Amino acid sequence: MTAQPVHGDGAALAIRGLRKAFGGVVAIDDVSFDVPAGTLTALIGPNGAGKSTLFNLLTNLYRTDAGTVTFFGTPLAGKTSDAIARLGLVRTFQTARVFPGMTVLENVLAGMHVSARSPIWAHAFADARARREERTMTRRAEALLDAIGLSAMRDRDATALPLGSQKLVELARAVIARPRVLLLDEPAAGLNDAETAQLARLLVAIHRSGTTVFVVEHNMSLVMGIADNVLVLDAGKLIASGSPADIQANAAVIEAYVGRATAVPT
Amino acid sequence: MDAALAITIGGLVQGSVFALVAIGFALVYRVTGTVNLAQGAFVVLGALTTYSFEQTLGWPAALAALAALAVAAIIGYLVAVCIFAPGLRRLPPSGMVMLTGGLLTLFEGAALLVWGSQPYQLPPFSGYQPVAIGGAKIPTQAFWDVGITAVVVVALWYVLQRTTFGKALRACAENPSAATLMGIDVERVRVFSYTAAAVLGALSGIAIGPVVSLQFDGGRFFTVYGFISVAIGGMGSFAGALLGGLGLGVLQQLGAAYVSSIFATTLAIALLIVTLVSRPNGLFGRGARREDNRAAAAHPIGVRTRIAPRTARIAFIAAAAVVALLPVFVGGGALSSLSIAGIVFIAVMGLDVLMGFAGQISLGHAAFVAIGGYGAAIATVRYGFPPLAGIAIGLVASLACAVVLSLITVRLRGIYMALATLAFGLLVDSLAVGLSELTGGPSGLTGVPHFSVGGYTFADARSNYYLVWGIALVVFVLLANVLRSDFGRALRAIRTDQTAALALGIDVPRYKLYAFLISAACASLAGSLYAYYFQFLSPDMVSTPRSLEYVTMLVIGGEGSLAGPLLGVLLLVILPTAIQPLNQAKTLFAGVVLVGGLLLLPQGILGVITAAIARKPARAAVHSTPPGSVPT
Ligand SMILES: Nc1ncnc2c1ncn2[C@@H]1O[C@H](COP(=O)(O)OP(=O)(O)O)[C@@H](O)[C@H]1O
Ligand SMILES: [Mg+2]
Repeated sequence: MTAQPVHGDGAALAIRGLRKAFGGVVAIDDVSFDVPAGTLTALIGPNGAGKSTLFNLLTNLYRTDAGTVTFFGTPLAGKTSDAIARLGLVRTFQTARVFPGMTVLENVLAGMHVSARSPIWAHAFADARARREERTMTRRAEALLDAIGLSAMRDRDATALPLGSQKLVELARAVIARPRVLLLDEPAAGLNDAETAQLARLLVAIHRSGTTVFVVEHNMSLVMGIADNVLVLDAGKLIASGSPADIQANAAVIEAYVGRATAVPT
Repeated sequence: MDAALAITIGGLVQGSVFALVAIGFALVYRVTGTVNLAQGAFVVLGALTTYSFEQTLGWPAALAALAALAVAAIIGYLVAVCIFAPGLRRLPPSGMVMLTGGLLTLFEGAALLVWGSQPYQLPPFSGYQPVAIGGAKIPTQAFWDVGITAVVVVALWYVLQRTTFGKALRACAENPSAATLMGIDVERVRVFSYTAAAVLGALSGIAIGPVVSLQFDGGRFFTVYGFISVAIGGMGSFAGALLGGLGLGVLQQLGAAYVSSIFATTLAIALLIVTLVSRPNGLFGRGARREDNRAAAAHPIGVRTRIAPRTARIAFIAAAAVVALLPVFVGGGALSSLSIAGIVFIAVMGLDVLMGFAGQISLGHAAFVAIGGYGAAIATVRYGFPPLAGIAIGLVASLACAVVLSLITVRLRGIYMALATLAFGLLVDSLAVGLSELTGGPSGLTGVPHFSVGGYTFADARSNYYLVWGIALVVFVLLANVLRSDFGRALRAIRTDQTAALALGIDVPRYKLYAFLISAACASLAGSLYAYYFQFLSPDMVSTPRSLEYVTMLVIGGEGSLAGPLLGVLLLVILPTAIQPLNQAKTLFAGVVLVGGLLLLPQGILGVITAAIARKPARAAVHSTPPGSVPT
């Protein structure tokens, strides 16, 4: 039995010996690291490295083959995905998953489910407190939509928006849950330059408000500009970690990108 | 001993016919992934057209049978090309289950118009003189039926294994996109297999026609037993279909002979539920196609454009006023069908919560109407409870059943969920008929009192109208309040993307359970009101065909909005009573509406209306704000 590294109170997420294989493909191979609380940590790596799989393991959407994940000291093993979200670990998906048939406002409101308190009968009988809660939620959602420049889209079906805006809606939906840790899977994919710049400002603002942010991202200039901490995953293995400057100078990282992907980090 | 032998042989005969139907099921399922609930309709079609050619037109038996097979082939082909194939292109698997259910209703309605409601029996192929084997007298038809099944099985095996077409068919079953790349015309194979299944169905009808008498709605029975055979044997497995059919036939006959026919039916359905839940691939393994296990089985039917709150409020007040004032202008039959519409409206609103909001298809909604109805009727008639207590007893029983059903089906998705609810509905049907001590059996339970509360009895038509619509209004308001809140958003999130819903902290199984409970409660309440309104309840008022009617009303009215059910109920309850010719063809009309609605109007009437309102230039409420801080 290998000794478990002691993780300090500072770790929002502590991952130890995590492993996941799909048939013969080992997507995550004995990965261990910490995401310190209060940081904006980035995870980079070529396509197929296992980044999305890692997020699916953290939120128990996939069953782990081996290893443990603890969230602010609480082991996540055996918990359902929704229970994990209610603990304060909320994620977005690589391809935006806004709810079709629901408006932009309703999508964002759905993110506040974790904090909704009124029981069903209170809603049924239009209890004053339940109505007040709904109004407060709506106001918060509207304010957030305002802040990200989507108020005009409020009552549109969310899937009718351009993909970039859908990603913003999904981000807003996650942020409004006030998670302790926010997991973002390639939030800038599919965004144009202006939208990416807006996203960067948004991420910094979310981070400043005290949320730990753990982001998978391909856009190097975005990552290097805002991350405290960068982890590099390649073929299921963690091959490097450090400050953005360290990572940019790291030979193994450059090799991973030049060797496998066509895009060279800038 | 001889009796046992005779019963077993009777079981094998019936089983060989179930097996033929089941093989038709398996064929369509393997090639298209669809559970074709219309399969049984072709059994009736085959038997009744043969009867018409042979008895009415006086054709020789063999010619009549061949002509009937040709008719089934033509109709099967037309259905495949005009309805089934377009459905496959537009609808998810769960929508296809509803579509084929609509086809079954459509066929029943058409058969009713052509052949009326009396039963028909064909003469045996080779006379009535039985053959004696070891002391048991065996009708010659038994040899024919088992022989036909054996020939079909061998022929099918040959086609599948030894011909190019069989290879193409298997390729489509394994992987349609790969088959397309190999140059196989997948659409043609689908149409062919549907047509072949239709012919197999008709052949089963011709084979069983001399053994049992058949009438216009007999297709249900064969759909159900063929489906049970194939589900137990293993969806999509031909060997499983054969063994499942034979086994079910023998089990059915032995159970009926030695215990009771109700026991046999209940046992068969219980076996189906156990198989669906514990071994969805069937007892013989081979089976469920990959796409049935898709994580997010979204079902994109329903109202997409929401009504603006202000418009909704005005429409609600206007509708409430109309409901309140109608009895001033109408009376008699019209008032009574309006009252029935109100009761059905309550039931369909409940179904909407489950299907339109939470996205779970139920083909067994009438079962909860039955539990509520019989709960109230039995409590008041047999035990002398007051009507209000009867409603409460029905509700408790319905909620208890809903909890149990929901616990055992918690892992099922998509079509399996739909089929489990269908099986539950059938189970309740058979209990309603079978527990005749309590329910009064097939002829129903009479002497149910009018609803009364606090010394006031709702005896006349007008007070019943206000009772029903008053309750409907209260249910509408309560549901509207709930569905507008966080609860409704959680359900709608689950409907379209369960994974994303989980990621937002929505406890998916729990919310599905809540939706199921609400829908069962509405159905149960409607059932109790039904019993008090008619002062009578019989199994066919609350059996599985009603479940399909509720689905039809919901789909055509518009799922996912409480106003949709109202439109659907008005269309299917009021219109046929208002227009006499339509009343004759009520079943056909319901079938056409469901099939047409699914294919041409998946958003329902309400969806069309709201989309039209939304297209009108709305006031532009654009006030863009520059990105700033994050106010969370
Ligand atoms: N559900 C799955 N089934 C089979 N293989 C999968 C599944 N999810 C991911 N994989 C495989 O795992 C590897 C890592 O994929 P992924 O985590 O999506 O990479 P990334 O997000 O880094 O691009 C890939 O080889 C992918 O094919
Ligand atoms: Mg990925």
